[in-house]
Formats: sequence, structure tokens, C-alpha cells
Amino acid sequence: MQVNRRSVAIKRRINAAVAYVLALLAVAFFALPLFWIALSSVKSDADVSAYPPVWFFEPTLANFRELFVKLNAWDALLNSVFIVCISTILAMMLGTMAAYALARFSIRGKESVALQVLSIRMMPSIVSVIPLFIIARELGVFDTPWLLIVIYALNGLPFVVWVMRVFIQDVPKSIEEAAMIDGCGRYEVFLRITLPLVVPGLAAVLVIIFMFSWNEYLFASMLTSSEAKTLPVVAANAIKPKAIAWGLSSAAAVVMSLPVIILVLSAQRYLVRGLTLGAVKG
Amino acid sequence: MSIQVRGLSKRFGGYTAVRSLDFDIADGEFFVLLGPSGCGKTTTLRMIAGLDVPNDGLVRIRGRDVTYAEPRHRDIAMVFQDYGLYPNMTVFKNIEFPLKVRKVTPPERRQKVLATAERLGIADLLDRKPAKISGGQRQRVSLARALVRNPHVFLMDEPLSNLDAKLRATMRTEIKQLVANLGITTVYVTHDQVEAMSMADRIGIMSKGDMIQIGKPLDVYDNPRSRFVAQFMGSPPMNLFPLHFSSERKIECKLQPFADALPESQLTRAQDLAGSGLSFLLGVRPEHLSVVPPSTAGAVEAEIDFVEPLGQTTNLHVHSNATPFTIVAGRTSARAGQTVGVAADPAHLRVVEDDPRPA
Repeated sequence: MQVNRRSVAIKRRINAAVAYVLALLAVAFFALPLFWIALSSVKSDADVSAYPPVWFFEPTLANFRELFVKLNAWDALLNSVFIVCISTILAMMLGTMAAYALARFSIRGKESVALQVLSIRMMPSIVSVIPLFIIARELGVFDTPWLLIVIYALNGLPFVVWVMRVFIQDVPKSIEEAAMIDGCGRYEVFLRITLPLVVPGLAAVLVIIFMFSWNEYLFASMLTSSEAKTLPVVAANAIKPKAIAWGLSSAAAVVMSLPVIILVLSAQRYLVRGLTLGAVKG
Repeated sequence: MSIQVRGLSKRFGGYTAVRSLDFDIADGEFFVLLGPSGCGKTTTLRMIAGLDVPNDGLVRIRGRDVTYAEPRHRDIAMVFQDYGLYPNMTVFKNIEFPLKVRKVTPPERRQKVLATAERLGIADLLDRKPAKISGGQRQRVSLARALVRNPHVFLMDEPLSNLDAKLRATMRTEIKQLVANLGITTVYVTHDQVEAMSMADRIGIMSKGDMIQIGKPLDVYDNPRSRFVAQFMGSPPMNLFPLHFSSERKIECKLQPFADALPESQLTRAQDLAGSGLSFLLGVRPEHLSVVPPSTAGAVEAEIDFVEPLGQTTNLHVHSNATPFTIVAGRTSARAGQTVGVAADPAHLRVVEDDPRPA
């Protein structure tokens, strides 16, 4: 018995060790490119293109200087933050309310309404960009943040509607009915009871549509020229006529990743549950 | 009058869930809506609550027409089958919620929540979330949340059906006492006839969207209006035997001694039913039959098929003249295969209207 028990304990410990090693390998696999980008962003042009790669070098902020001083990345960053935040908030608010209506009310033909909403995403962006360009010019909104805000909000909307609808359907109806009996009207039920219960879903959806818009390049490059330029457009400047400026490109990547990382970290508490898409019921 | 229901109907597409109900519930009365699943009892309750809107008819609470009023404007509270607790709030916050929505001041809220929790024996659970307490405790929380703001009407939708048998029995008495002490008008939905019998001041029995019979529990039990009520109430159910008038206007039954023993009042009822062209049955509760020596005068001779001893009583399943029926006796030495006499208490023989055959 004694021996047996000890051997079981040892086996368990070995299993745990193997699991840790595998997890570390997986982390390394996904994190190495990020680490490499961060490293490259503080290398000089010579160090970046050195082969074999150098691990020890004189770090420099030249790439960041070029990005912010020469390419006006600061303005683009502010544009990006403004455009993406407003469009994300719009998509979240409108989308969640639409999702609630589609989940809870009996509306004639609501399935086809839901499909119509989804169909916005069925058309490839490249097809709509030229008509949008012409429309924007006619309306006089070309190269303004409002144009991108509307486009990004519309782009995010179907995703919000479809995912939040599933989350809202998962909230038992009797909870909402209890709230109505307890004295809430429909809006109060939605705001005080349903929304707090779908926070994990809201967090996951918010992060995902934020990233859609934050990284969006095609619309941003075609529908802005100088005033409403966003970060991805500036980052594309790293592609120079003769070669790609890897250092500059890495610096841009670092600047672009930071807000997303901060967002994900602050929402992490909810994300783990949200990304299972309601599969695990509390 | 606390609640008045007039001509209340609800259709879902082509399906009629509730058909033209009329009933009144008095102040402080404990009214039970009883019926098998799908009979429309929950839909009726939901229309009183304002969670469903009727297609026809009206609901009055305290004389005010609330047919189309929102639930929050009806001065009602409700306990749900699955409790409907807010999973993200602690027990305290759950109970406090109706007061908070109604803008009661925080000190008063606190005091009322504590008093209600104390009364229901859940004062030590106030900091926990609903997921961390047992089914019976959740039920108490949901009762507390309903009681905390002292509603005029208390609605309960099968509140005990998710509990185990033993807990159900305790909660049954507890709810009944609680509501009786507070004197709140209560509408209670259940499919369990024991719950209905033990708790109700009056029972309304529903079947397929119709109200079949309304009455005090024992009245309904003793004088079931139809085959459905006779068989739904009581366990084992009432014994029913086809009954008809012969061409010589004599009443006839396969167990003729029982038919011969029918009291005058029941015979009149049989004649009335026959006059309206309705078919009817002879009904007698198993506990009103007794085992007597064979060939006793006025008794039916029956053979015992099997014996179910339940401790306090014994169910004897017997047949006579190819008609099976059940007797509830005390302790007995009777064995399967034995032939016995069965006597009926004439005072408890009933004429029961047959249900219309499904078309």
C-alpha cells in the first residue's frame, strides 16, 4: 500500500511537470514573434538586418522618433483612438439593444431581420470601398473621422447582434419576469438585470470588435488622406519603395499593440468566461 | 373581492390555452389552480400577473381593471417554479431588489430585508449568492423577495415542484402558515392534488383550458362534477362504473348492488343528466368500500387480483363481473386469488358526469 501510494504521487507529479513543459512551449511559440518585434523596434537599421541575428546591441529609439516626429504617428494615434472608441461604443449600444429585441420579442420575420444584419458582413470590403469612396466624396465626408466611425460601427454591428443574442437567450426568462413583477419596466429589466448577467459576453465582443476596427487598413487607407489618417495607415509607411523598414514597422507594431494589450488585460476577468460563448452555464 | 376573472381566454396561434374562465377570489383567500400539465393553469396565473396578455376577457385586482396593466402596476408578487433569483446578486440584494426599484430608503430597506429573512429562517445566508445555497433555501429566498414589500396578491407557480418529497411536505405547511398569518390573497398553481387539498381554501380544477369545477377541497373531493375531477383527485382515484337507465326506467350497472344502493338525491341527478342526453357514471371512493364476508346482502362478490400493503392502509385491487376497481382497507389478511364481498357506504355513492369523448 505504502509503496503504491507513493508511486501514484510520483506519477501525478510527473504528469504535472509534463503539462507545465508543454504549456511553456506553447507560450514560447506564440510569444516569440511578439518578443522579436519588441526587440526589433529598438534596434538600429544595421542591427535589424544583421545575419545571424544579434541578441546584444545598443538599443535605440530612432524608430520611434521617426514614427512620431516624421510620420506624425501621434495625430494618427489620437484619430485611431477617437474613431475606434466611438464606433465601438456605437456598435455595442445599438447591437446589444437589437440583440435583446431579437432574443426576447416576438417580431414578425425576426429571423430574416437577423440574417439581413449578418449580410452586411457577407460582402467583401474590397467590393464596397469604391462605392463608399464616391458616396463619401459626394457627401463631403471624405477624410473625416465620422466616415470611418460609421463604417466601423456598421462592420461591428452584425457581430455584436449575433453573439449578444445568444448570450441574452441564455438568461432565463423567469429572471426577467421576476424583475418585472418586482417593479421594473422593460428598460429597467434590460439595464439592471439582463446587462449585468451578460457582462462576460459584452467584454468578449467589445474586445473583438475593437480589434477589428483598430487594425482595419483597407477602408482607412482608401477613405482618408491626411486629416483622419489612422495608425495602420501610418504603419504602412514602413513599406518603402526599395525595401521594408523592419525597425520602423516593428516600432509601429509595438505602438499599435499596446492599447489592445491594455484593453485585454483590463477585461481579462470577464474574457475567460465570455470566450466560451455561453457554453458553460453558471 | 380581491381578484375577479371574467371571460378570460388565451390563444397561442390556433391553440386555445385558456377558454373563457370566470372566477372570483376573495380577500385573504388561498386559491389553488389545479390540473395536469398543459391544462392552462400557469397561463391563467401569468395573465393575472400581467406576464401574458389575454386575447379576451378581463382581470380585476381590488376592483381595478388591470387586464392590460404592466406587472409592476398590479401590486402583486410572484414565486417562480425555478425561483427566478438574480444570480449575480447576494441573497440580501435579491430580497432588497423590489424595495430598491420602488425607491424605498436604504435604512428602511435594510430593516425590512432583515425582518423578512429572519421570519423565513435565512438570516444567516444574506451574504451568499443563489448558486451557493440549496434548493430549499433558494425557495425561501424567493418567498422572502415576494413577501418583503407586502403585496396585495401573492402568485405562486408550482413553487415546490423542484424540491424533494420530504422538503416539499415541510415547505407546504410553512407556506400555508405564513400566508395565513399575513392574510395575503394567494393564487397557487400546482399539478399535485395533495398540495391542493392540504393548502387550499378553494380549488379550481382545470383541464384542457377549461375550468371544470371550483369548490372547497373536501367538497370537490366528495362531489366531483365529472370523470376528470373524480380521477384527478384522490390517490388511488375514485372507482367509476358505467351507469344507465334501462328501457323500463330502471338504473343499471355492471355492479348492480351499488346501483341499487344509490340514494334518492343521486338518482335525481342521474335523471337530470340522462334528460340532458349526457352519459354518467357511478362513482365511489376506494375508502368508502369495505371488505365483508362473501354473499352478504347488498354486497358485490369480487376476486382479489393483488394486494398493496402501504403500512397505514392497504390497497386491494379486485375485479367483479369483469370490472376492475380498488378498495382502500386497513391492515388485512386478504390475499390475492381470494373471493370476498365488497360493500359500499350508500351515503358516499355518487353519480358523476362522464367527460365528453374526444372527437
